Amino acid sequence: MNESIIRTYYENLAAGLLVGKKCRACDCITFPPTALCEKCGKPDLEDVTLSGEGEVLFISHSMAPPPNPRFNDLAPYAYGHVRLAEGVFVQGIVADVGVEPVEMAALYERCPLPVRARILTVEDLPILAFDLV
Amino acid sequence: MVSRLKEPVFILGVGCTRFGNLLETPEIKGLTLQELAARAAAEAFADAGIEPNEIDAVIVGNVTMQTSNMPATYSQIAKWVGAQFKAGVHIDGACSTTNIGVTLGAMGIASGVYRKVLIVGLESTLSQPKKFSPYERVSIPTEEMWLWTDACVNQAYSVPQGYDIFPTYNGFIAQAYCRKHGVSIEDFDKGMFELCRTRRLHGSMNKKAILQQTLDDEAAGYGFSDPFEFWVSAYNPFLAWPSRLRSVVTAADGASAVILSSADGIDPNAPMPVEVKGWGVTVSDLPWYGDDPTYMAYDRISFDKAYAMSGIQPADIDYLHVHDCSHISSICTAELSGYLPEGRGLTLARDGSLRFDGSRPMSTHGGRHAFGHAWAASAGADTYEAVKQIRGLCGDRQIPKAPHTAVVHTHGYAMVSTVMVYEGR
Repeated sequence: MNESIIRTYYENLAAGLLVGKKCRACDCITFPPTALCEKCGKPDLEDVTLSGEGEVLFISHSMAPPPNPRFNDLAPYAYGHVRLAEGVFVQGIVADVGVEPVEMAALYERCPLPVRARILTVEDLPILAFDLV
Repeated sequence: MVSRLKEPVFILGVGCTRFGNLLETPEIKGLTLQELAARAAAEAFADAGIEPNEIDAVIVGNVTMQTSNMPATYSQIAKWVGAQFKAGVHIDGACSTTNIGVTLGAMGIASGVYRKVLIVGLESTLSQPKKFSPYERVSIPTEEMWLWTDACVNQAYSVPQGYDIFPTYNGFIAQAYCRKHGVSIEDFDKGMFELCRTRRLHGSMNKKAILQQTLDDEAAGYGFSDPFEFWVSAYNPFLAWPSRLRSVVTAADGASAVILSSADGIDPNAPMPVEVKGWGVTVSDLPWYGDDPTYMAYDRISFDKAYAMSGIQPADIDYLHVHDCSHISSICTAELSGYLPEGRGLTLARDGSLRFDGSRPMSTHGGRHAFGHAWAASAGADTYEAVKQIRGLCGDRQIPKAPHTAVVHTHGYAMVSTVMVYEGR
């Protein structure tokens, strides 16, 4: 069987690792990984493991019920716009955060806040989420 | 990249059904998608003053195959719009579909291959065929519609890991806008209220809009004498804090059609043609922004391309529609376009400048909230309004001085950023 970049990403998450691709030509990190550098389109890539540390710039919340039934038991959940320490932007669930308007307003006043990656398993799929630290 | 049409291309006719619900809205109730498309095309042919057999090619767009059950939409729609035996194709540029169709048709004409092209967009977002019935439909839950629509965005990573359009397209952008421009959340709410009020006013003056009730009348219907009290009530909850339910898209069913022509294909007696001066198209995927969620780099590229191709500057724009599935995103886009000053969009919304009779008229058909959103058909509806405004045919909502230059921007989900520049002759 051929190696799937997408499957490998999730298998790495299951092992607690955030693995992207770094371009040997321009140094850009593509995370989550694709087949080519997302900046210059070149194929000469090497694996790079990210720290999982970062800052959440903004936190809002999802709708409920969610479009994706995978999240039926979690929605509504807090969802954040995160800049990882390596300069990559991702968005993900912010765990253990309430989504009432007063809680959202308080977080808006406090952001940006440091976060650390936390791998949640949702219906057998490991997903990248974040904890406030 | 060379970005010029070798020959001028004109919009000869436009058509659009009422946007609504195939199961409820009187003007379209009981119709199938084939019949919806036929109605939009028939209006466009009548508007253009030509017969269907004068068309050389037809481009048909549809996004949500689950609700149409017609993946080969072009071949199935051709007989319904008089385009049997013509060239054509089915396209999907998501919510930018009909704009993409205009660019493809215009390139076909400017290259000399075609003289006239019909573009049709059709969509149902509210119902699906009932047990494969050819004519009976059943409603679909909102979350199911979004599940199918979210198939347009990053299926490898974002959607499986909890992506939700409302925080990404509303909540984060709203917070970033407030922080960037020093706007309090309270003032943001008032700005969003007035923007919705304007769009609903426009919808109330448009017989094709899905929502034809003003916000004030809706508030009164719920027993509120002060419409802002209604705005902040439980009837208008936060969809993604601090953005509320009535600052976002209203899903709809509908169809639109545009007929393009070369200059030598225009009958001297045709209604005033509108020239397709230029466009910019740029695609991307999530994440849509970096440090600053109010700034979408692909939109910057699209506007720059469109301005260069058409030879206009922001100051030349007389009428602007930007994609407003998210009202706060539309303010950011309008500011990025140069039509509104940076950081002033909400203030202009509050003082009425964005109304049809204001100094910076926008989205006079009602936009995606009041006119409604039928994915593949919506960009055609935006072009329909731009053409009618240029011709001075918008009745009560006509911009007092009919625009000469109109710009239409859409975000196809996501992202297919399109900017179209149209000019009256």
